[in-house]
This record gives sequence, structure tokens and C-alpha cells, in this order.
Amino acid sequence: MRVFFATDIHGSEVCWRKFLNAAAFYKADLVVLGGDVTGKVMVPVVAHNGYWQVVVRGETIRMETKAELEEVERKIRNSGSYPAVVTPDELQALSAEEGAVDRRFSAEMIRSLDRWLDMADGKLDGGKIPCILNGGNDDIWEIDDVIEASPCVSFGEGKALDLDGFHLVSMGWTNPTPWDTFREAPEEQLKEKIDAVVSQIPDMERAIFNFHAPPYGTGLDEAPALDDTLRPMHGGAVMKPVGSTAVRDAINSYQPMLSVHGHIHESRGVKRMGRTLAINPGSVYGDGVLQGAVLELDAKKGKVTKYLLVNG
Amino acid sequence: MATDAIGGETPTLFLRKATGLVRGWSVRDSMIYAVLATNVVTLGIYEFSFQSFIPKGQLLTSILISGVWVSFLVIAYAGLIVTIPRAGGDYVWQSRILGSGLGFVMAATGWWFILWLWAPIYGNILSVELFQPLWATLGDPSGAAWFATHTGIFVVSVITIVLAGLLVSLGMAGYARIQKWCFYGGLVGFAVVVVLLLVNNHATFVSSFNQEAHKIFGVNGAYAVTQAGAAKSGYTSPVFGFSPLGASMLLIPMMMFYLLWPNWGSTLYGEIRGASDFKRVFAGMFSGLWITVALSVVFLLVVAKTFGNDFYNNSNALYWSAYYGGKVAPAIPIWPYPVMFAGWLVHNTAFQVVLILLMALWFIGWVGTLFLSSTRVIFAAAFDRVLPDRAAEVSEKRKVPFYSLVLMLAPAVIVSAVYAYNLTFQTYTLDATLVIAVTYLFSAIAVVLLPWLKPDLWRASPASRIKILGVPVVPVAGLVTIGLLGYNLYEWLTNSAYGVNNHDSLYFMGGMYVLAIVVYVVARLVRSRQGIDLSLINKEIPVE
Repeated sequence: MRVFFATDIHGSEVCWRKFLNAAAFYKADLVVLGGDVTGKVMVPVVAHNGYWQVVVRGETIRMETKAELEEVERKIRNSGSYPAVVTPDELQALSAEEGAVDRRFSAEMIRSLDRWLDMADGKLDGGKIPCILNGGNDDIWEIDDVIEASPCVSFGEGKALDLDGFHLVSMGWTNPTPWDTFREAPEEQLKEKIDAVVSQIPDMERAIFNFHAPPYGTGLDEAPALDDTLRPMHGGAVMKPVGSTAVRDAINSYQPMLSVHGHIHESRGVKRMGRTLAINPGSVYGDGVLQGAVLELDAKKGKVTKYLLVNG
Repeated sequence: MATDAIGGETPTLFLRKATGLVRGWSVRDSMIYAVLATNVVTLGIYEFSFQSFIPKGQLLTSILISGVWVSFLVIAYAGLIVTIPRAGGDYVWQSRILGSGLGFVMAATGWWFILWLWAPIYGNILSVELFQPLWATLGDPSGAAWFATHTGIFVVSVITIVLAGLLVSLGMAGYARIQKWCFYGGLVGFAVVVVLLLVNNHATFVSSFNQEAHKIFGVNGAYAVTQAGAAKSGYTSPVFGFSPLGASMLLIPMMMFYLLWPNWGSTLYGEIRGASDFKRVFAGMFSGLWITVALSVVFLLVVAKTFGNDFYNNSNALYWSAYYGGKVAPAIPIWPYPVMFAGWLVHNTAFQVVLILLMALWFIGWVGTLFLSSTRVIFAAAFDRVLPDRAAEVSEKRKVPFYSLVLMLAPAVIVSAVYAYNLTFQTYTLDATLVIAVTYLFSAIAVVLLPWLKPDLWRASPASRIKILGVPVVPVAGLVTIGLLGYNLYEWLTNSAYGVNNHDSLYFMGGMYVLAIVVYVVARLVRSRQGIDLSLINKEIPVE
């Protein structure tokens, strides 16, 4: 079976479109998106009388027609941001009212995800090509139900999915980060979560771990060291391992066939951990490039026979 | 969900709290790395000593023109860094913009294979700027001279390789702190040298030089012997100044040996890229480059004032003339290290030793970079399945990249042996600059073609908004950079003064390109047989 795995597209619509096309492009039998599906940035597009105005990366853009507006919105979405069309009064209210931005942000995320899942329906042949989606630590809780309700993708969190003889278990939680994001837990709790989900696997020989957090100290988890103010230290030249020890220990003790990860975008790489092939394809969603891993799995041998990290 | 509004009273974007949103790093940090990379002491002063190979050339003129010209390279690279902010640098940019095969060949040659040659060059510099003057100052001139022998150079090269390898193994965290202290300590040493040369006049220097040269090497009237020796060997120093321009232009390919590296190690992390990122990246490299240029100018001015420009050039010319078989022996039998000469203005051995050690910090803060780029390229190539998977393996216990170290260190030791025992091979020193310049050339081509080959990527880049009179600055800077590198490549390959355009040198460099191509082709064939299509690595998935 050929699997395409990507992760951390963070709201980039161009990456999502590429992900949907990846099955056909790489002739994959299964596509998996490992978490952190939603974006981090919302860009207000201000509707004035007869025109719209937006500031994108310091450049003020004025749009006179609906077609121009849609083109700019498309570019904003492709970069992983959410365009939010607002009146000047709404923009003021967003800034002034406690929690207003959060509510609008969530609404835009859900609206965007809905659109994405509609696209998936067409691209994945109405669910004939299996597609697994999961949340990551940066994803709001509300997306879980939206994905769960989709007819053409499967929500992976906490489940052991049987995929043609392979058993895929997913966990979007990570060890704590300096940003205090949604799905974070101390290592002891991560261990409990991992043990709970892994206990559903009948055959570890053909098991696939889809854990958002990479295993600690494996080279798949190297991020720039930050000081107390979240500024990269020493010009960004110093990297440090920030992965999960619970994930590392689980791989070492359970020894699944394959373990796929994300979370640390800079740490694209591959690591052999006993019989387990651990992979983090990294992410450069901001460039509109979908980094991923094309994996060939042999059900009889219970091993990954081929892999290739790609920049699609 | 915590959010930040950006854009003042009227927000232009809202940022929710999420992983990886970091503040931009300080310009000061990247400036320090740029100053250490374009190292005025280890690379600059060493290269100044070769002025006599273009005898009419003015160092000052060539340094200033080089500074201006390399500034365009800084703009071009700042554009690439903010457009594709990846640690892989040239490898990633060229692979993504120009193609995987070219990216691998250029990265393997420019950031890996040629570093084998940099190892003995680093070693030689350590020998002439630390071991030789230190031993001499401590009263053992024959010990000092040993470091200039074939075996001496080889031993110091191996010391350098081991030191750089150890630093790679230990990781960058501690070394980055060491680098910073080395930078500040080195600056203090540099300031001491400048002050010494400012407060002493030429007459004092001549007498101090004669006195210390007699004390250490037993030479009488060393100053006059040096001046006479240079004349006898047929060398005449130009009068200190700026002209002639033509000959000074010919020194530029030599100045690239130290001024071509302000972009060394420049990376950018962070996903929310704004217009300010370009300015920050540019400012770090640009200020680093121009601090080095300023230090060079100050150094040459105070040297001309106190040593005398003619004496400085004469001592260098005479040393290299004798080294390469000239019949006139220099008064000082070791490399004429200006720091040692400046230290001689204070007749105190302890002070002289401390000054040499202080200036050696410029080396310590710099040597760790020798193999860092190679590790990155080897790892990236292994992850791309071009090299065997083992090349990227790191030992579990000590986190040592054992196989990649072998791929770097073993050839470096062999090349060091050839370099140490073969004088002709030593003249290929500028091969080390040339091969990297070729890699840069393709990155410059990539930045020029970027708006056409990857229009979406270009439009999304903060670099695309840097314009003068409506013309995007970065691709234009790329064109000027192509001019800079093209000029240097032309001179290196056609003018024998640089010592690189002879057959063996060309075979040596050509061999590296052949090796890289062979590795890539073999990898394609082997992986193809395994059912892995390497052409897929950078093939873009259709969007629609």
C-alpha cells in the first residue's frame, strides 16, 4: 500500500488543494494529514463605500471589483491566512470588544474547513480514496466535530483505524510549548493518552503511529532555541530538541512499523528507531509548497519498504 | 484563544497564539556571525600578505570596491533568505528554483567537498597566526619554524580538523556562546593593536622591531634587511593610496577570500514574514560586511602610519617569495604576523603572548563553522535519498553524526596531507573561494529568475516589495552579483597570478564536480532500481 503523509498546513489553501491532489499525483492508496490544519492569521479586508482595502505584508491593496476582491482573498487563503471582510465599524468593534476577535477567528476557521471538506468530496471520489485528518496542538476543538461529520474524510484522534490490514492510531496532543496552545499536556498525561490509543492495536507489526509531536532527541524535533521573550537565540543558529519523551518512549517500547510526526516544521527528517521508521516531513506551508512523505508499506513483511520525502 | 492585533489603531492583521510564532532575532547576532565569517584577522590579514602577487595593486582600493560589490550579493541573498527561509540555504534555493540535480551538485561541491580544502587553509592560518608567533615569542624560534614545515602544517591542520569536528559533535549551543565571547575578546585585541600603532611612531617601531627580532631570531638590523631583501627579490611596494585602479581591480579576486562570506550561516526561521524581515536580514549581513571593511581600512591605515606601507608589503612579499623558492631569505623566518610586530612595541613577553592569544580568539570563534555547512548538506542529501540513509545517522548516546563526520573528516585529512607536503597544491588556495563562488553564482541566477520561474513564491515574498523607482531591487542585485562572480571567475581562470588556472588545479576542482555528478547519477540509478523516483522530490503537485 502506498501512503502519502503531510502535516502542518496551517490554513494554507494551496497546500490543501495539493494535498487533495496528492493521491492521484503520487498514486497513493491512502492520504493522511497529521494535524495543525488551521491557520494562525486573520487579515481584515475593510469594505468601504464602493471599494475594499486590505494591507498584506505591509502593502495596501485597494480593490474596486468583486473579481479583484476574490483574487486577493484567494492569495490570502493560499498563504495560510483567513480573509475577514468587515466594515470599518466592525473592525473597530473587533478591536474594542473582549473576545470578538476570537469568535470571528473561530468562525473563519470553521467556514474555511467546511469549504475544504466540500472540495475533498469531489477530489477524493466521494470517499473512495481513504483520507485521514487529525487535529494538532494549534487546532481549536471545534474542528473535531466538523471533520467527524464529513462523509469523505475520517477523523483520526484517539482511534485505531483499520486500513487494509494496517492499524493507524492518531494523537494530536503535544508536550507543552511556550505558546500554551490547545492540545498540550504534560508528558505523563501524553503517555496515558498514547497507551490508551495504542491498546486498541491488535498487531503492532503493522501499526502506524500518527502522533503530532515528534519523539524527543531524534533529530525530528530540532527547533531554534528561544530566549524568555521568544526571540531565537544566537541568530537562530542554535537548535534544540523540543519533542516528546512520551512519544519517544512509546516508539521504543511498542516498536510500530511506522511513526509519522509533524509539529516542528524546521525538522524535516527520517530516523530509524529499532524496527520503527520515524518521519517528520516538515512544513513550509507559507511558501505554498506541500512537504510530505511517500511511503510504500508491505503488509506481508510488516515494514516500510520505500520512502521518499517530497516537496510537492 | 489569545490573539494579537497588529497594525496600530486600525489593525491590519490578527494573530492568534500558536506554535512557532517567534520574535525576529536580533540584528546584532547576525551581524556578529557576518563579522566572524568575513574574518578580518584570520582571512583578511592573511590574504593581505599576498598583495605582492599583484604588485601594483592597492589593498585599500580593492577592499572598498569589493565591499560595495559584495553589498549587492548581500541584497540578493537577503532576498533568497526571506523568500525561502530554510536552513539548507543554497541547496534548498537552487533545488527548488533551478532543479534537484543542479542543487545537489552545487551544494555538494560548494558546501561540502571544497571544505576539505578549507581544512588545511584553516590549519595554515592557525599555524601562522598562533603557533608560529607564540613559539617565537616564548623564545623558541626553531620550534616556531617547525610549524611552517610540511609536517608542522599537516599536524596543525589535523589539530584544526579535530577541533572543528569536536565542536560539531558538541553542538552549537555552547559554541554560539563561545563565539560571542571570542568576538568581543577579539575586538579588544584588535583595539589594542590599533592603539599600539596609533600611539607609537615609525621610528619607535623600527627600533622595537630591530630589538625584538634580534632578541628572538638573532637577526641584526632586521628592518633594513627586510627592505633590502624585498628590493633584491625584485619587488617594489606601491605608494600607499588608491591608484592605480586597474591593478587594484585585480586584487578583488583575492579579497573575495575574506569578503565573500557575509551570508555564511544566515538563515531565517519564523512563518509570519513581513516587510521588516528583509531589512533585518539585510542589516545583519550588511553591517557585518561593512564592519569588516571598516576594520580592514583602519588596520591598513595604522599599519601604514607606524610600520610603513612599504615595509608591510615588503615583509610579506619577501616571505612568500622565499616560501615559494626565492633566493632571498626574509629577516624574520616565520610569516610576518602584524599582530606579533605590534606586540613588539611593548618589550614584555607576557604582554606579547597575551596579545597573540587574544587575537587567536578570532580563530576560535570562526573554526567551528568549518564543517557545520557540510553536516547540513549531507543530512539534507540523505533525507532526499541521494546519499545512503546512514549518512544522516546520529549516535543515540552522544548525538554525534558519526558517518557525516567521516565523510567530512577523512577526505579533509587526506587533502591536508597533500596541501602540507605539496607546495604547488598550496597555490590552489583560491580554489577554495572559486568553487563556493560558483555555487553562489547559481544562487544569484536563481534569484534573478525567481520572479519568472516561481511567480507566486516571488509575489508572496517580502523581497518583491523592495523597489526603487518601481524596479524590484533584489533581482537587479542578483544581476550585479552575477557580474561580481563572473568577473572573479574570469580572472581566477585566466590570470595565473591567482595560482588556480593551471591544469592540476582545474583537475582538482573539476574532479569535485565530476564526483558530485557521479554521486547524483548513481543515486538516481540505484534508487530507480529500488523503485524510488528521485525526480519526484521537487516536482510540484498540481493545485487545481
